[in-house]
Amino acid sequence: MPEIESLSDISRLISDIQHKKFTRSYDIALRTEELLQELISKGHWKSAKELMNLVKTRIQLVRENLPQEATAPNIMRHILKVIREEYQSASKKKDEGQSLHELVTSTPSNVLDYSDSLINLRSSILDHLTEYKVELESSSDNIAAQALEHIHTNEIILTVGKSNTVEKFLKRAAKDRIFNVIVVEGAPLYAGHTMAASLAKSNIQTTVIADSAVFAMMSRVNKVIIGTHTVLANGGLRAASGIHAVALAAKHYSVPVMVLSHMYKFCPIYVGSHNHEAFNVCASPANVIPYAFGPILDKIEVNNPVYDYVPPELVTLFISHQGGNSPSYVYRLLSELYHQDDYDI
Amino acid sequence: MDKTKTSTDGSSKKEKKHHKKQSKDGQLEANLAENEVSHGCKKEIVNKTNNDATTGTVAQKLSEKELRRIEWEKKLESQKGITVTSNDQSVGQQPSEKELRRLEWEKKLQEQKAGDTGKETLSKAEIKAKRREQQEAQRQAKLAAENAKNAAENVKKVAATTPIKDPGKGLGKVEKKLDFPKKETKKTTDVHKVQLVQHLYAEMPQKKVSKLLVYNNIHPAFVKLGSQYLNKTILGSNARTLALMAALKHLIIDIQTPPKQELCRHLETVLQTCTNHLQNCRPFAVSMVNALRNFKLHLTQVDTNLKDSEKKAKLQDVIDVYIHDDIYKAGDAISLKVKEKISDGDVILIYGCSSLLKKILVDAHKEGKKFKVIVADSRPLLEGKEMLRRLVVAKIECTYIFLNAVSYVMNSVTKVLLGAHALLTNGYVMSRIGTAQVALVAKAYNKPVLVCCETYKFSERVQTDSFVYNEIGDPDLLSKIPNTEDPSPLSKWKENNKLTPLNLLYDVTPPDFVTAVVTEIAILPCTSVPVVLRINAIENT
Repeated sequence: MPEIESLSDISRLISDIQHKKFTRSYDIALRTEELLQELISKGHWKSAKELMNLVKTRIQLVRENLPQEATAPNIMRHILKVIREEYQSASKKKDEGQSLHELVTSTPSNVLDYSDSLINLRSSILDHLTEYKVELESSSDNIAAQALEHIHTNEIILTVGKSNTVEKFLKRAAKDRIFNVIVVEGAPLYAGHTMAASLAKSNIQTTVIADSAVFAMMSRVNKVIIGTHTVLANGGLRAASGIHAVALAAKHYSVPVMVLSHMYKFCPIYVGSHNHEAFNVCASPANVIPYAFGPILDKIEVNNPVYDYVPPELVTLFISHQGGNSPSYVYRLLSELYHQDDYDI
Repeated sequence: MDKTKTSTDGSSKKEKKHHKKQSKDGQLEANLAENEVSHGCKKEIVNKTNNDATTGTVAQKLSEKELRRIEWEKKLESQKGITVTSNDQSVGQQPSEKELRRLEWEKKLQEQKAGDTGKETLSKAEIKAKRREQQEAQRQAKLAAENAKNAAENVKKVAATTPIKDPGKGLGKVEKKLDFPKKETKKTTDVHKVQLVQHLYAEMPQKKVSKLLVYNNIHPAFVKLGSQYLNKTILGSNARTLALMAALKHLIIDIQTPPKQELCRHLETVLQTCTNHLQNCRPFAVSMVNALRNFKLHLTQVDTNLKDSEKKAKLQDVIDVYIHDDIYKAGDAISLKVKEKISDGDVILIYGCSSLLKKILVDAHKEGKKFKVIVADSRPLLEGKEMLRRLVVAKIECTYIFLNAVSYVMNSVTKVLLGAHALLTNGYVMSRIGTAQVALVAKAYNKPVLVCCETYKFSERVQTDSFVYNEIGDPDLLSKIPNTEDPSPLSKWKENNKLTPLNLLYDVTPPDFVTAVVTEIAILPCTSVPVVLRINAIENT
């Protein structure tokens, strides 16, 4: 069956993510984009509708297999929007819901079905995708370029664990400003150690603290700058576990919390709490308590969650390559990124 | 320091003479010139197991200036025709460490007596002369040690243990220990010191120094206790206080009053040197300060007309009563109170290790209460593992998490129980680092937080942040990752001046995170600390 044949590309991506071949979200994003570019240029589709269906089956496949994975579906969702836009401009038909008046009155009159086959569609979509790829590649540089707008001299900045975006951001700022960074080590993975060693190499005064010292240190911190796994539709975060407590401590001391995020991390999903089934995963307890701990291991339960839910009220600012936005504006960013109809795939 | 050995120097007659004089006048000398106490070279405790390393540190400590002096001394020595040899034959014949210390202690007491009688007869000139003699002896001793070090390089097993034989008296062995001037010529550099807590580094015990501490007039029980505090083998306010009280009892049993002195006054001065030593090892816990204050108060109230043995009995009684009432009985009372608050089906979150919490939970479990316990833990001390072990042995159902997962489990938690290091007058709770964070998350989820604390841990101090008064632990603990063989990227932090691990030991929890404090008196709000202190003060006077 050609159907299964054609899905082999996405299956490989899924297996790569499952086997941790890609750990950085940036790698996943690029890979997904390349995958779709290939699908569009070489895939068997005649109309925009068919292409969209191909993409949608892929999104569904990823979501079934990797419920926590947000980057790949987000990239594909954005490309769906690209397809829609290109179709509209090629067919010279307008979709509903663009003007404010139409938003308020909301009378769906002319629903597009995207079934016309257009000659230039393939090339125009591919052109658009090349642009999008450049945007992806320059995203972290664009975020880092804003560093000087947010970090002043002699600041004390706290960050948790390791994030490539944050690392780049701080190093960029260190070129022109002198400031201190406190790195929380982030047990049980201790990614903070790598982060701290790397920052110190770039001549940034770095202090490493254990997770337990966050509240004590927070009273002297000027800003908390963190990365995140996903930005949820309500402006909340799915971030590495432990960040909720950090954000709470920051709130207690009225320290602003800045979240650096690529656009592809913005996800149109609402998740209410920590214990939402699709929200969290638990990693192996071996990192928390070694198997060598002894016979007591039979009698205890060990939890090692990977993510934390951080409610939007604890976040001050999102910084993406487009600039800073507050959590309350996330819904609008989402509607710019994705088409309304693609939210629930 | 587990294995210690005496270390001495050469065996020339002249030198021995100096040494004898020096030890006789040791006490006097110390009184006369307090600043030079460190010069009153008597003994050097050398870690035998780590001999080479120790000599290494010795060498490091000898600054250029000292080296020059040593050279000059060598010249002097050769003029006198003194040959310094190191004797390495009787290493195996040393009495055990404990015996040694006991002997030392007794000898010192005798010397002291002798010194006291001779005190008045000494004229100023004589004292001066003696001091000069002593300084000379000290120089030679140092030179000898230097030579011994050189010898140690040649003969590996020299072990710096070279007892002197005294042919004049035929005493066989005289324990002589030698030490180096303790004035460290250490430059205070700001490298690897976090700006915010600069002041705390001064109080931080130096590991290197500890190996060469001067144990002048310090009872062996306190020497041992000091090293236990330093290495954190005794951890937790209650355990530390109990250990201190036990050492104090040893001291009372062993102490002998010098003539013309009163036991309690003498004990006071001896105790002061002992506690100073402990302070050098690790700053006191609030509970220890309070316990000591109570003891000193009773010390001043002892009837001076009693016999020494009666006084001793009385003082020991004071300690026993304190341990029994203020620590054990208080624990029982708190346990009873908390038990009422634990109901079937509860999920109780605790953090770290606390002897009081363990007692409470085990008592409640024995009562037949059905509850689950979640033990939260954090690096670098990982005390929660010990707590977990104790609770599992008591057959309590346990879950173990790291601090990062507290938010994850907090939804299912019904109560949070926390131990405390001290309760401050402004209602802040000083406790193991991380406690504030647990309380903060509990507050965010609206879960009740109960702090369990005996009133003897209440302190008059006020504090609103965790920096003014705190302790800094070993930063190396942070740069190691447990359970893995690969070194952490931080393992070479000392090579990079920009990289500093910071290991604070305590934090303070604001009173608004704490629902109530359970004490042996009652379940109180945090803000009642000054009231309890006031009432206790009235009762004690």
